Amino acid sequence: MRVLLRRAVFYVITAWAAISLNFLLPRIMPGNPADALIAKFHGKLSPQAVEALRVLFGQSKASLWQQYLDYWHNLFTGNLGISYAYYPTPVADVLGTSIGWTLVLITVCTVLGFVIGTGLGMLVGWKRGSWLDSLIPVTTLLSSIPYFWFAICVVLIFSIILKWFPLSGGYSVIETIGLNWGFIGSAIYYAALPALTIVVASIGGWLIGMRNMMVTTLSEDYVKLAEAKGLPKRRIMFTYAARNAILPSFSSFAMSLGFVVGGSIVTEVVFNYPGIGTVLFKGAQAQDYPLMQGIFLVITITVLVANLLADLAYVFLDPRTREG
Amino acid sequence: MAITTATVAEAETSDNLEGTSRFAWLRAFRRPWTLTGIVIVLIFLVLAIIGPWISPYDPSAVSKAALQPPSPEHWLGTTQTGQDILSQMLYGTQVSMIVGVCAAIVATVLSVIVGLAAGYLGGLADELLSLLANVFLVIPALPLTVILASYLPKTGSLGIILVISVTGWAWGARVLRAQTLSLRKRDFVEAARATGERTGSIIFRDIFPNQIAIIAASFLGTVTGAILTQASLAFLGLTNVTEWSWGTILYWAQVSSAMLSGAWWWFVPAGLAIALLGTGLSLVNFGIDEFINPRLRQAGIGTKKAQRALAKAKRAKIIRRPQRVRTVRDSAGPFNPVTSDVILDIRNLKVDYVGENSITPAVNDVSLTLRRGEVLGIAGESGSGKSTLAYAITRLHKPPAQITGGEMIYTNADGSTTDILSMGENELRDFRWEELSIVFQSAMHALNPILTVGAQIEDALRAHRPGMSQQERAARVIELLGLVGIQTDRVNAYPHELSGGMRQRAMIAVGLALDPEIIVMDEPTTALDVVIQRQIIEKIIELKDRLGFSVIFITHDLSLLIELSDTIAVMYAGRVVELADAKEFYRNPRHPYSQGLLASFPTLSGPKHELTGIPGSPPDLRKLPHGCAFASRCPFAFDKCVTEVPPLFALSGEAEWRQSEAACLLYEGDGTVSGTTAAGRSALDDDAHEMEDAR
Repeated sequence: MRVLLRRAVFYVITAWAAISLNFLLPRIMPGNPADALIAKFHGKLSPQAVEALRVLFGQSKASLWQQYLDYWHNLFTGNLGISYAYYPTPVADVLGTSIGWTLVLITVCTVLGFVIGTGLGMLVGWKRGSWLDSLIPVTTLLSSIPYFWFAICVVLIFSIILKWFPLSGGYSVIETIGLNWGFIGSAIYYAALPALTIVVASIGGWLIGMRNMMVTTLSEDYVKLAEAKGLPKRRIMFTYAARNAILPSFSSFAMSLGFVVGGSIVTEVVFNYPGIGTVLFKGAQAQDYPLMQGIFLVITITVLVANLLADLAYVFLDPRTREG
Repeated sequence: MAITTATVAEAETSDNLEGTSRFAWLRAFRRPWTLTGIVIVLIFLVLAIIGPWISPYDPSAVSKAALQPPSPEHWLGTTQTGQDILSQMLYGTQVSMIVGVCAAIVATVLSVIVGLAAGYLGGLADELLSLLANVFLVIPALPLTVILASYLPKTGSLGIILVISVTGWAWGARVLRAQTLSLRKRDFVEAARATGERTGSIIFRDIFPNQIAIIAASFLGTVTGAILTQASLAFLGLTNVTEWSWGTILYWAQVSSAMLSGAWWWFVPAGLAIALLGTGLSLVNFGIDEFINPRLRQAGIGTKKAQRALAKAKRAKIIRRPQRVRTVRDSAGPFNPVTSDVILDIRNLKVDYVGENSITPAVNDVSLTLRRGEVLGIAGESGSGKSTLAYAITRLHKPPAQITGGEMIYTNADGSTTDILSMGENELRDFRWEELSIVFQSAMHALNPILTVGAQIEDALRAHRPGMSQQERAARVIELLGLVGIQTDRVNAYPHELSGGMRQRAMIAVGLALDPEIIVMDEPTTALDVVIQRQIIEKIIELKDRLGFSVIFITHDLSLLIELSDTIAVMYAGRVVELADAKEFYRNPRHPYSQGLLASFPTLSGPKHELTGIPGSPPDLRKLPHGCAFASRCPFAFDKCVTEVPPLFALSGEAEWRQSEAACLLYEGDGTVSGTTAAGRSALDDDAHEMEDAR
């Protein structure tokens, strides 16, 4: 599996680049955020916290290289610093309580959006030239809508006017967090609107991409040959056209996922969902750099893992990549 | 791997750019949806420019009219502090558009520089720049943008523009790199390099202009992305919240809990504006996409007329016919014109390309007969209609191609006849492959890349022989592979794992799967080198003699055809201009076009002769002349040729088994060269290569 190995190496390089960027940013950015933060807390920070902050922003006496090594050491020991928006909780703890919510929400929505969008795209492409083509402008409009604005509209209609769903939050406060039906049921109930927003807003992109690839694939000789062979329509559509048309969706998965992740993060803010997005928003408001950097790291690593999974699926789907 | 595949797809698109003018893509703008997009974008552009002047109020001015729904005084209502939302929208349009356009300009310039440099320089520079682009593509943009933006607290538009462009250039760079790579190998770039043009000037004079369509598409996409990102950042309060943009309006609506108080007018206009502008830009981009990828264009609009006709044809005539009876064919023995019966009789077939307001005849009034065991060779230049004919025979033609007349009578094994053109969808599916199969020119493209060779033979068996067991099918697959000379352990090989010759053999094995009566071969050896070509041709002859199927062999390679065929039909501008026994055709080609063709090809065997070409080029099918289509290139043309379309005349002469026919007015009447022109008579009686002298 040389291909996968190469991709894995690429992701390691990317992770290294992202982490190093994270290290460098506070050191090359203009202004003096550390002092601003320290001043904001009016001496309420412990001396250790002040010291940690200075280290974070590169105001320590150690050489840049030593700082870099310390930074890596801290990363591997799970020490991401202390959050200022949630002072004095460590960043790692803040992330720990919020990452699960986001992970579940985005994973479910990405899979749903991908399956529905790609499926519809396949149909629209297969029936090209029929009335289904008129779906394209509609989905274009849908995919151009900002996620967070769509979220606001959804909240207005379903929570405020119809009162079918809760306004915000991730679960009902009367439930105890844990693996019990009451909590899971309430979590699903609370996640319905955010999920609806993300799925509907992301379908359009998948649909149009798949439709265009489907149309392109349908004029391939192998599809013509399948037709000439007198194969059943279903087999031509799935095994000959769609199986080939879907491949680019996996190879451009990184970019599409970036869109969905970005959109979901802002969507969480509208719903005050207890995930990473809301935390990032609070962090940005409070200029909580350790927290934002931690979030950036976690999201990047998660996205890289997701991409590796997409690559795995790609290798599974396309025999041409399995050589060597 | 994922990246390389995408690159191939991206590179492929560029092939279509050539052949049309560099600015032909502007024509894509005439499509209604594209026009709609342009109008939307223009309206926003105008509003962005004049917005602040026409806005009725100061967008930040507070008033007592708090949270007013839309009214004549405040068309879009007011905010909690009584600010006029219409004014905020108008000011906001300017800021959002400036950020979107400027960020896209910076990002596009970055991607053009990186993409062109990586693609053109190649080597280590390419490796590093591609890696950089790919890293930026994979890192999720929004969180990075958020962090960058938060380090520039309360930045104005300039900071936001920089932040967005730093994260938004990678995709464009990747596409452009793939483009440049493929353009770099083109003749005109090679030529520029050979003449010692400087690298910079090659990039900007020869490569850059060919990528304008792609760059425009990438630019418009980035504008959409930038406006969305700006709105997101503003909504999160990461921009200067006192500067009005669509995102800031939404920020204030959110922090003032506009939705709780039901003030829909506060946030609806801004979101709609973003969505509308995004849609407009996307519609323009679809237009450009369809230009870059002509397959989309063809399928998207096709022609309404042709598609309606297709739908009608599908509904028409679904007559149940009894199940086909399969009889064992007498195989073996060379083709004998006297004893074998006609298996396919094509009568007056017409295929048109139906455009929105034009009809282009591609196959015009073609009549051919194919006998059992016969090899019918169809020759012609590209554009002569020979491939269209092949598709029409198998009814694989797609809109805008449309069969507008004629009959194709197939004789079943039991002697009954069926018109292929009147078959319903199910009947056609049964007929295909069982009776008639097809071998395409490029096996690389005709085999499904994700299925093994064995599976592609097996699925035909499964579709047509439901009674066959798994083991029987597997055995038949092995048998077929052996038949065409592929090692049987290659049954689980994927097409890309086979060599070109092996792939073509696999294609033939697929074609033979159901032991069909007729195999249509559309340039099956053109893509192969001469040695492999020879092997494949010998294999086809061997199999034909052994299995006794009939072949319609289509190629532009006349010498190959003469060797292989029993009968030869020469096509020109959609018509059959000569039909003759292959040996007779070689000895004595009659139509001036056939003579020209023969004189321009070397034979594989036989005496050497001087090669000459045919002056001029094939006619434009959309503007066919009134008379003979070949008249303008014909050395023997006389007055009548320009006014009258010649039918096929039966020719005199000692034919081996069938009378030659030629569609040339020289043979009008008695079938001998008429005395219209003395020059014509003498030249036609002589050898073909003396045509030059006659001129």
